[in-house]
Amino acid sequence: MNTTATRSATRPRRQNRAELGVSLLLALVGAAVVIDAARLNVPYSQSDPVGPRTVPFIVGGLLLVCAVTLTVNVLRGGRGEAEEGEDVDLSAPTEWRVVLPLLGAFLANILLIDVLGWVISGAMLFWGSAWALGSRHPVRDAGISVALALVTFYGFYVGLGILLPAGVLEGVL
Amino acid sequence: MNVVVGYVPTPEGESALHHALEEARGRKARLLVVNTSRGDALVDERFADEGQMNLLRDRLTASGVDHEVIHGIHGRDASEEILSVARDRRADLIVVGLRRRSPVGKLILGSTGQRVLLEADCPVLAVKS
Amino acid sequence: MDVWSSLLDGFATALTPMNMLYALVGVLLGTAVGVLPGLGPAMTVALLLPVTFALEPASAFIMFAGIYYGGMYGGSTTSILLNTPGESSSVVTAIEGHKMAKAGRAAQALATAAIGSFIAGTIGTLLLVVCAPVVVKFAVSLGNPSYLAIMVLSLLAVTAVLGNSRLRGFCALGLGLAVGLVGSDPVTGQQRLTFGMPLLVDGIDIVVVAVAIFAVGEALWVAAHLRRTAAHVIPVGQPWMGKEDWKRSWKPWLRGTAYGFPFGALPAGGAEIPTFLSYVTEKRLSKHPEEFGHGAIEGVAGPEAANNASAAGTLVPMLSLGLPTNATAAVMLAAFTQYGIQPGPLLFDREPKLVWALIASLFIGNVLLLVINLPLAPAWAKLLQIPRPYLYAGIVFFATLGAYSVNLQAFDLAILLVLGLLGFLMRRFGLPVLPLVLGVILGPRLEQQLRTSLQLSQGSISGLFSEPLAIVVYVIVALVLAWPLARRLRHGTSRSTIDTQQDAGPDVDAGDRGKVSSS
Repeated sequence: MNTTATRSATRPRRQNRAELGVSLLLALVGAAVVIDAARLNVPYSQSDPVGPRTVPFIVGGLLLVCAVTLTVNVLRGGRGEAEEGEDVDLSAPTEWRVVLPLLGAFLANILLIDVLGWVISGAMLFWGSAWALGSRHPVRDAGISVALALVTFYGFYVGLGILLPAGVLEGVL
Repeated sequence: MNVVVGYVPTPEGESALHHALEEARGRKARLLVVNTSRGDALVDERFADEGQMNLLRDRLTASGVDHEVIHGIHGRDASEEILSVARDRRADLIVVGLRRRSPVGKLILGSTGQRVLLEADCPVLAVKS
Repeated sequence: MDVWSSLLDGFATALTPMNMLYALVGVLLGTAVGVLPGLGPAMTVALLLPVTFALEPASAFIMFAGIYYGGMYGGSTTSILLNTPGESSSVVTAIEGHKMAKAGRAAQALATAAIGSFIAGTIGTLLLVVCAPVVVKFAVSLGNPSYLAIMVLSLLAVTAVLGNSRLRGFCALGLGLAVGLVGSDPVTGQQRLTFGMPLLVDGIDIVVVAVAIFAVGEALWVAAHLRRTAAHVIPVGQPWMGKEDWKRSWKPWLRGTAYGFPFGALPAGGAEIPTFLSYVTEKRLSKHPEEFGHGAIEGVAGPEAANNASAAGTLVPMLSLGLPTNATAAVMLAAFTQYGIQPGPLLFDREPKLVWALIASLFIGNVLLLVINLPLAPAWAKLLQIPRPYLYAGIVFFATLGAYSVNLQAFDLAILLVLGLLGFLMRRFGLPVLPLVLGVILGPRLEQQLRTSLQLSQGSISGLFSEPLAIVVYVIVALVLAWPLARRLRHGTSRSTIDTQQDAGPDVDAGDRGKVSSS
């Protein structure tokens, strides 16, 4: 009980303001759905009286209503409960120093996978993620990364018939 | 005078502690017993729990040697922790336990003892179980 | 065809050496992820979806069945040995189980959990064999309007009943439905929400959605709040039970099964309520009530059986109606669609071989679990020594690999990242993820049912209410939706009803961790 209680006492403001961002997101998605649906043609058709617009309008409407209700709820002091887990320590603040490098590793892989191929970019992804998450054994990590990338590359090719991109190692692998 | 020992609740840890106690007694030094974990994994058997810590404290008190226990999770490797304690307290000696490892085990795991041996500024006594 | 001869055919498929191997792999994987912190069966099945495209559908589902039951079992091992319940459904097991382990009775706790799971799983699967065809027979006679109504009910029930905040459930549902809209409209072929990107015309792959929400979102969330602890596993030898333990366990096993199965079969029933009910019942009926809170074996036996029976119950609506009621079932349903198999009442007719092989493999998986897990319990505990950086880096690695291998497009990875960030935000702000995933899976099917239903009535809304069952279901929907309003009205006059209702959850949830439920 105590951890949750102290947290809500010390950071209600920040949590509130941040949670309004969720309302904003819902409103934006809702608006996008409605606007997108509005530009659809509705051909008259006996076989499809509902048409392609009805469901998007309902979904968009639901999202907009949710956005408004959530805003009211948050302003009146409602709070979303962050999810707990075995490895989640909610008493600590968000560790952006872990999350941002992790996102960086992910993003680098998206940009590099088609150029460098899976073996190199995948190994970099694992190595970078492990480092971001606090592993401090660069050499051991590199070994594991390369091994994982190679095993999955050949495993997918031999076992599943899926040829992952070899990239710059084309011909070597 | 300070003697630092890296303690783990295993045979090699026990024999390291045994030798460290003798060294500290002989030198009339203060014994700093370090037991930490990075807290990386959900389970770390080398990190002593409360029961083991109580046994350790009893044993230290019974030995009559002036001592201090450093126990906790500080997000650092055991070797880093030992080295930093030794540096901060200007230790005259570090005692570590070594366990036998296969060549492959050495390659993959590295070892706390090895890092301490290589990076310590003071003499190191390495004890085998 | 007769149910039992179909089941025998299923065994014939499932007992081939290759399929046995997949069942074994599934059971081992499932137990491993159940034991490992941070991984759940839903995430594992999601991560394995791409890998299984190369397999026969039957083999893939045999493996998934193993993961499903194995995950339930693995969760109870960590609850007992470490007091860290991985799934909300094993929270209750941890209460008495961990106390037993601390008192030196870990072996008995693990044994009663394993044998109880086996018995509940076997009875539950037998009930599935009996119930599912009956439900199918009933469901096939339903018209589109009734089917639509039932889909709406199950979607709303999961959204409104599970989780702490209904409002946040609906927010998640809305987002899921929106994601489900992306792609070309099945009737007119017009592009919806594609923003001119040709790669979105086919819609967002459900595999990518599941992997993003369950794996990437979870990894990011854990990374942001990585716990630094080091615990000790309570040492355990070979699990075994004495005569007295058997005597005290068998009734709770059966009662737990009786609670678990019906709740699992209900939309939004889940495993939390039956495990809790079973715990309370055993506490009341026990001849040793003073042992409760200090490690009573009945408090492990009952809830564990309830948990597994509920897992079996969940498969009834999933196989016979195509309606998933928990996360793992949702991902397995997504797998059906990946194979081009239409889930729903016709599944038993169109894919009898697959369905019966799946059911047969549930029995086999249960036996394997019992045979493997009793002797292997100490070995599973070793898995907990894997450093967290490797665990979560591995999740990111395999999530990327899985999502990429579907179409070999880096673009899918961008979607994976965006939806993964969404999953992170949802966990941060308490939006439940299950309604979102269900929205993505069921949204398109709902739309299709709606359009077919109204086609018959030429667009008149009355077409939705043209069948008596549909009306009944909509009345239930209205009740589910109006329930909190009614509660609020009564809140003014009498507090007591709400208090008793609220006490149930948090009391158990609290455990060692201290969780406050928002109302």
